[in-house]
Amino acid sequence: MAVSCHGMFDLDSCNVQPDSCALPKGAAFAFIKAVQTVNQRLLGLSEKNKTLLFEVVLLGKDCEEHIKLNIFDSAKHYGLEIDKFYFCSSDNLIGTLQANHINLFLSPDKDDVYSVLKAGVPAALLYQQAEQQAINRLKVLFSGDLIGLSADSMVCLKDRGFTDVHIQNFKAAKECLREFVVRIGEMKRMFGHEGSPLHTSLMTVWGSRDVCASALKTLRGWGLDVDEAFCLAGATCGPILALLQPHIVWDNGLHNLKGVAPLLSS
Amino acid sequence: MTLYPGQVMKGQNPMPLTPPPNSNGDSNDSWDENKGFCESVGPTKKPQTEPVRRARKVEGGIFFPKPENAVTIAVSSRVLFRTEKEQKVFEEKGVEEYLNYQVQHENEPLAPGPAFPFVKALEAVNSQLRELYPESEELFDIVLVTYNHAHVGVRLINTINHHNLFIERFCMTGGSSPIGYLKAWHTNLYLSADAEKVQEALAEGIAAATMFMPEKQVEVSETQLRVAFDGDAVLFSDESERIFKAHGLDKFFEHERENEHTLLEHGPLKGFLEALGKLQKKFYAKGHRLNCPIRTYLVTARSAASSGIRALKTLRAWGLETDEALFLAGAPKGPMLEKIRPHIYFDDQMFHIEGAAERGTIAAHVPYGIAQMYSHRKSTNSAK
Repeated sequence: MAVSCHGMFDLDSCNVQPDSCALPKGAAFAFIKAVQTVNQRLLGLSEKNKTLLFEVVLLGKDCEEHIKLNIFDSAKHYGLEIDKFYFCSSDNLIGTLQANHINLFLSPDKDDVYSVLKAGVPAALLYQQAEQQAINRLKVLFSGDLIGLSADSMVCLKDRGFTDVHIQNFKAAKECLREFVVRIGEMKRMFGHEGSPLHTSLMTVWGSRDVCASALKTLRGWGLDVDEAFCLAGATCGPILALLQPHIVWDNGLHNLKGVAPLLSS
Repeated sequence: MTLYPGQVMKGQNPMPLTPPPNSNGDSNDSWDENKGFCESVGPTKKPQTEPVRRARKVEGGIFFPKPENAVTIAVSSRVLFRTEKEQKVFEEKGVEEYLNYQVQHENEPLAPGPAFPFVKALEAVNSQLRELYPESEELFDIVLVTYNHAHVGVRLINTINHHNLFIERFCMTGGSSPIGYLKAWHTNLYLSADAEKVQEALAEGIAAATMFMPEKQVEVSETQLRVAFDGDAVLFSDESERIFKAHGLDKFFEHERENEHTLLEHGPLKGFLEALGKLQKKFYAKGHRLNCPIRTYLVTARSAASSGIRALKTLRAWGLETDEALFLAGAPKGPMLEKIRPHIYFDDQMFHIEGAAERGTIAAHVPYGIAQMYSHRKSTNSAK
């Protein structure tokens, strides 16, 4: 599974000189380390698991030449197992992802994630972890509000002011999510419940408990039983997220919609 | 040490139906700017084919109070429902078998557990509060917080639906400690079947108690919530208890007399009594003092003539009161509690808890203070 990662290093905050020491770590760093742990464990279980492994690809957007060099060096310096490096311009982001059959695009930038999702490429948010968490577990959080709605009931979202286009995008996002979930489910089944390096959670923010139950069943139908579940029913997600500290957040693009909020004030 | 209900930790707008958002203190949160979105949407309506549930509508929208404004009660699945059979499977056959069992029996609702009448009574109070104060967020908010894996979630949700409970928020931690989440929900009271977790919560300053199934079923009121508290080491600190245990009854009396005018320190459940008191005042304000749907009781072994005075003075100085105060001067608590029929009775000593449970009183143990170090009449094995 190819995972393309932007935000590996903190490019903004460093004053780069040629041949200087490695770039400071960015948000994706802990994620990469966690992925490597999962890969190691999978291989440790069986050589046949090679097909299941994560393959990490680093994507740099609009990078200057000397930055590119720095990225190569820093990756080596930290011992990151990065299979390929791609550099592209921001206009060509989606094209690059599609051309290279990327299964999942990760970025801390919400706008990027949303535009990629809209184009039908699976994308999720890299969560800004407060501190570098223990890296022996990869934590993935699924936002359940849309998972819990079947395709038919999504129509009822129109009452809430979402347009047909939005609803189309949600459906596309849900399809992308399904592929990812199926693969994660396969990986997870390799490990038992105790000491698994893959930790998955579900959170519904504004759905009722039945939406949450429906999301749990949907995920199970796709082959994944999550470890933790939260139904917030309108409570703020901040404190819970801060405790959970996931690496990846799948929110189906729902919460990235700007300009939607005014539609919903009723 | 105690949590004060309604203490607003962040500067949030308490009205849930107004359009987005005030800025929030969380800078850590990557969904920061969209939090207003979360708040202003409200829950999705389910398609019409679902069975009709009791309306929880307020002015055309279903809303749930914000945790910091409501009195949040966190219950674990093992006290809300009876899970003895499932526990056995877990202990005898391990985690995988247990999860399989739960999934197979997913559509079988669980039977009510010791906290069930308490939760029902909380809901009754809520509906009356909503009638009097439709816009207010100062309600009871019941959250299910369980160590269970999310696999069990579907069965729990089915059971909640079956019993028609108003629990919308829950947290299944899949084995990790729920204490952090308790704090995030601004929990005012945590009820669990596991004494260790309760002790962890108490150590973090959250009022908590271990609940036990009473040996016989006793009818409790469906319209009036009744909560009974022991005094020392529950509402008050265990300082006097220590004197009694170390030096005996005479020294205890002497100490109390000398310190009559000194306030006692607060105990773990003082905050919860305070939260109840706040809600009671809302009823009084609308003329419901005599038939208030919340009634609190102090049931203490102190004696009215002597050591009880200090307790009363302390309560008064804190601005708290209980509707009834029973000073038993050492007499057994069982018969009194049987008469009161509280939905929950908090005591720090297992001896009293066991005595109460024998007579059908729903009792909850607060594992706080010096009394925990002394062995009890029956086994000290607290419920699992």
